[in-house]
Amino acid sequence: MNDLLADAIFWAFAAGSVTTGLRVFRTDSMMRAAFYLLASFAGVGGILVLLGAEFLGMVLILMMAGEMLIMAIVMVMFMMNPAGLNPMWMVHQHRVAVAAGAGSFVLLASLPFLVKFPDRPAPQPEEATAELGTELLGDSMLVFQTAGVALLSTMIGAVVIANRSGRFGVAEEGSQEPTVEPGAGDQR
Amino acid sequence: MSEYAAAGVAIAAVGAALLAGVYFVAVFDRLIGALVEGRPLQWSRLLAEPVQSSALMAVQQRRTTERPDAPAWALAPALFAGLAAVALAMVPLDRDLVATDPATGFVVFSAAIAMVMIAVYLHGWSPNSAFALHGAYRYGAQALSFQIPFLLAMLATVLPAESLSIVEIVNAQESLWNVVRQPAGLPLYLVVGVAVSFWGPLNLPDGSDLAGGTSVEDSGLSRLLWKAARAAMLVSVAAMGAAAFLGGWWGPWLAGPVWVVLKTVALLGVLLASGHLLARVRIEQFVLVSWVVLIPLALLNVFVSGAFLL
Amino acid sequence: MPVFAVAGSGTREQVQDLRLDVHMQLVDTPRAATILLVAGAIPEELAEALARLHDSIPHPRCTVWWPLGAPSGAWLGSFPHHVAIEDQVPGRLTAIQRELLSGQRPSEPPILPDVDAAPWRGVGPFGQGGTGMTGGTPYGRPMAELGPDRDGLRLDVLPLTVGPFFPRFPAGLVLDAKLAGDILVEVAVRDNPFVTNSVRGNDRAGRGPFLRALTEPVSLAELELARARAHLRWVADALAACELAALGLRVLRLATAIMPGDSEPVESLARVLGWTQALGWSTRGVGRIEAAALEGLGAGPVARASGLPDDLRAQDQAYRDLGFEPIVQAEGDAAARWRQRLAEATQSLELAGRAGDRRTIPTGSIESPRGLLEPAGGPAARLLPLIPGLLEGMEWGDAVTTLVSLDLDLEEASAAAGQAHGEAVAS
Repeated sequence: MNDLLADAIFWAFAAGSVTTGLRVFRTDSMMRAAFYLLASFAGVGGILVLLGAEFLGMVLILMMAGEMLIMAIVMVMFMMNPAGLNPMWMVHQHRVAVAAGAGSFVLLASLPFLVKFPDRPAPQPEEATAELGTELLGDSMLVFQTAGVALLSTMIGAVVIANRSGRFGVAEEGSQEPTVEPGAGDQR
Repeated sequence: MSEYAAAGVAIAAVGAALLAGVYFVAVFDRLIGALVEGRPLQWSRLLAEPVQSSALMAVQQRRTTERPDAPAWALAPALFAGLAAVALAMVPLDRDLVATDPATGFVVFSAAIAMVMIAVYLHGWSPNSAFALHGAYRYGAQALSFQIPFLLAMLATVLPAESLSIVEIVNAQESLWNVVRQPAGLPLYLVVGVAVSFWGPLNLPDGSDLAGGTSVEDSGLSRLLWKAARAAMLVSVAAMGAAAFLGGWWGPWLAGPVWVVLKTVALLGVLLASGHLLARVRIEQFVLVSWVVLIPLALLNVFVSGAFLL
Repeated sequence: MPVFAVAGSGTREQVQDLRLDVHMQLVDTPRAATILLVAGAIPEELAEALARLHDSIPHPRCTVWWPLGAPSGAWLGSFPHHVAIEDQVPGRLTAIQRELLSGQRPSEPPILPDVDAAPWRGVGPFGQGGTGMTGGTPYGRPMAELGPDRDGLRLDVLPLTVGPFFPRFPAGLVLDAKLAGDILVEVAVRDNPFVTNSVRGNDRAGRGPFLRALTEPVSLAELELARARAHLRWVADALAACELAALGLRVLRLATAIMPGDSEPVESLARVLGWTQALGWSTRGVGRIEAAALEGLGAGPVARASGLPDDLRAQDQAYRDLGFEPIVQAEGDAAARWRQRLAEATQSLELAGRAGDRRTIPTGSIESPRGLLEPAGGPAARLLPLIPGLLEGMEWGDAVTTLVSLDLDLEEASAAAGQAHGEAVAS
């Protein structure tokens, strides 16, 4: 692929990401906002692939697809807006939002000028995915696995506790944690 | 320049294969339907009917609803068909005959399957209609449940290949197909394959109890495109199953590409027959079975496959 | 060709039989149709709903009225545009569709004005109806209300009206439902124009042996064969509701082919249905009705599936001579109702084979395939009040399965009344 084409693709992805990112705040629906955000992330994923980080780019798209859908559904569930079909105003606390947005833009945009980046092009790795895996997990496989299992059991535990037929009885019957004294928990 | 020509040929080949696959699914599905119904086969009718009904849908008016999200409505079938094309493009016909073989093929395929739920959700959400929306939410529940067992079933095939590339996954099956090496893999994959393209027993988002679900408001060309995209996804799922579990091009006597096509047709037969022979599942049951049975089974499949490699 | 069919009074079987023709494709949504086929008489209360249905069919479209002996002067005659046909329906419809596509026949213009329910411009920068993020009444459309859900949260409920031409429901049934996600939290059944008798049944001769048996002696063999056929027709419909349309057509063909005394095909069908899980995972434990709730309703197979040995035939001397015993199931769920109807179809065929020339004595009431039929009405009208309590708390898919399993025939009541009315006029 020649440089011109690569540049064209990069700018297409970049422009797409920025435009859809802007649209997130200019739309009137939670669903559209979520899907614009997904499109923005997909563009970033494309740029990552273009930079040779194939695995990271595709995983970004893979994870964001599920996450955006869950986020959209949860948003709709807790807003009084049937299924996000009715229009709504997606922005609030304007002054704070504008200040925070401008501040973080200035901070992030100034980084390239303040940081001195190393000036030696790295060779394209043969097995980018394998190297990434070694880099991430090489010395800390056990730590990652332990953390993963701990997170999984936390999630299962949270689901069990939040369930209607929870650990301490059915939710609407005023379920109560059993006490240490025998027989005291039977009062409910 | 030849680099671009090769890319053009590959894209055209994937498109042609997908079109042929969609037509084949339409005929094959009617054939199985006629066999189940016990009606005498009229081959000329069987072959012509998909073309006729497509032509009718192409000339019908495209109706719209009150305040739909028109761009999303138009985008959904295109996105769905595009994802099917992405998945099919990575299925090798032979060791050197594949449209594209990214080193992270498995991840690209997974991302395509994950994006399917966005396509279906958009399709149901955009017409601003209650039954369509209901279908979209059902697919959300269905998709979030099948994603994990689906990815785990596919992940187990990556282990013996020690590579994420689909060509390498097929290559590693020279001596032993994954369907034998991981007996739980193919059944898991087929169950979730039916769920991905929501066919037959897992047709919850477009089910008849919702009078068509996400496609209830589709008419004319949009109905035709949505049907075609669903069939295309079924073809891609079957082709990927043939590659990942049935040894792709490996097989005696016949040429590699012939084996790939035969295996894909066999899997399509299983998927389509399930649509005519199994009653629709209740969504609650499917979600329960996914989380309680399929995920542990898929995890076990991964652990056992990994243990054999140690 | 894609046809959206509306089965009016007394035309359920004729419309169902259209499915057997390979050219006919009865579709679930008007958006997929080119032809709106209206069979029999439709109560005038449904005129507006029918017009809306007509307008949602994409161009080119055509309305076809198949009167099937409906009284002349029915209001549908004044439906703005329609073609009336009497027989050879598939052939005529094919010809009409060809004319539509070639432009020889103009597509029908809409009947109702194409205007929005409320103007699409509200208060606020996005018309969201207020100044806050969501407040107010956007575009004049009421917001959903919050309601408690089964997980102890307070979430949105979506009000939804289903009917009167929803393809899985009997024509005329309208549900006012409130959905919280997939769950029906509130259900109300609207007054049904077929039940309230605004439409008179057809005066055709040979209306069916059960209606005739109300007033004249009918041979047991004929009654029992008709019963077995009615049960199999229900199975065909129920299979289509389980996404098994092709298998449904096989059963429909079987329904027209079965012979008295030969119950083997039905028994093998029952085995096939067990294997396809139509009797299993889609229905087991769904729509359970306690026997006490059905006491005295004369609900036929529905009552017997809940364990009530409630069958008029057991009191009939002619049936007792044949050694008739009502079949009952214990579970009372949708699966039990499937099994019940298959078992009764088998039993009926076997009875029909042994009935000889025995005839019923008309007593003014008869055990029809759906339950106790009287001139005052059929079982459907008596089952309707049970529906809200039955469906509340169900998921939508289960609610449809349950309603299908009840086999409501709303116009049976009006047909019986129409017959009585016709006789009163004649005498």
